[in-house]
Amino acid sequence: MAKFARMNSAAPPHIADLIARTALRDRSAFRDLYARTSAKLFGVTLRILKDRSEAEEALQEVYVKIWQRADRYVAGGYSPISWLVAVARNHALDVLRARKPVSDDIDLVLDLADGSPDPEQATIDSTERKRIDGCLDELESDKADCVRGAYLDGFSYEELATRHNVPLNTMRTWLRRSLLKLRECLSA
Amino acid sequence: MSLEGLSGGRDDDQVLVAEYALGLLEGGERAAVARRIAADPAMAADLRLWRTRLATLDVQFAEVAAPTGVLQQVEWRLFGAAPAPGGWWNSLALWRGLTAAAAAVAIIAIGVNLLQPRVDPKVLANQLVAAIQSQAGSGVEFVALYDEGSGEVRITSLKGAAVPDKDYELWYIKGEQPAVSMGVIPVDQRMEIPLDPAARANIAPGTVFAVTLEQKGGSPTGKAQGPIVAVGTATPI
Repeated sequence: MAKFARMNSAAPPHIADLIARTALRDRSAFRDLYARTSAKLFGVTLRILKDRSEAEEALQEVYVKIWQRADRYVAGGYSPISWLVAVARNHALDVLRARKPVSDDIDLVLDLADGSPDPEQATIDSTERKRIDGCLDELESDKADCVRGAYLDGFSYEELATRHNVPLNTMRTWLRRSLLKLRECLSA
Repeated sequence: MSLEGLSGGRDDDQVLVAEYALGLLEGGERAAVARRIAADPAMAADLRLWRTRLATLDVQFAEVAAPTGVLQQVEWRLFGAAPAPGGWWNSLALWRGLTAAAAAVAIIAIGVNLLQPRVDPKVLANQLVAAIQSQAGSGVEFVALYDEGSGEVRITSLKGAAVPDKDYELWYIKGEQPAVSMGVIPVDQRMEIPLDPAARANIAPGTVFAVTLEQKGGSPTGKAQGPIVAVGTATPI
């Protein structure tokens, strides 16, 4: 643990600090934040939208939102990079889903409903990663693939049904049961 | 009413939250579930659980270098005037924050300047310097020194290489006015550019100098067409 803390202090400004300074309207921190995170977030928009120019346009929107909403991170429960990925992923999903974005107000309400920030997030992340991988392993492999496909590729029920060559209703039933199992495992 | 394949009640709520977190809900259904979650602390706690657990899959999003220019677009949108046709020049957002760097280079420029034969303190008092710094990783840098007495801009290349079939072109931008060309500039030597009276009247502290990469011989239209490779703001010495 002591070793971990030392490594942290030697690192460049933490992403959480850059988000906090961005919330204070520090433009150079915002630029640093972009330099540190844009490749990750472009990876997110590109994977979900699967089109370079759409992904680029989405990335622009994402950083506009990050500037406008950086103050909300302080109240949020995500680790800093997860929060940024969530902003990118949600925006890409909005673009993907029939180009009819859900009212931002709703997302804002849910952001505020998040818990308090967790200073030990980094260590928690690594144990949780094991746990979700372990829990996904407990599902049949094609069902675990559906969960990953929904999260990482933004696949809808329709796309998942087509990809797995089953009727839509079968896919819904499959996945809903899998999600319940997964939740049970995750909260155990 | 229970969801297909489930017994109803609490299971339904848990599945809805999971579907919401995964992004499987759309349109009206998504909005309705969002409102329920906002009103129901148990569902909100569940959403937190899903979000933090699912976020551990984020490592599987591979990093891909973002296209150049996205940050500039974002900054123009957030901090600058809306770009009109060719009018992104009008936005001063891009050049803000360069004053300190310009001042640092000014010190160097004074040092260089003292080596020039015709310098005297009165001339120094009427000079402006701009550190024209690399944009978007171009690696091209210049220093521009404007002497009111002679009406010349002396442009010195600090870094950067010539690009085949292209030329660098120097521009000044005054306030909200469109960029005005001062001509094509070399990367391997110093050059003095005599300015006409209109240009002289426009060069003042705060005037922005920019370098773009244009077709051979410079932009044929009088408007910048290529990408900005370096910018800086004129500062009194």
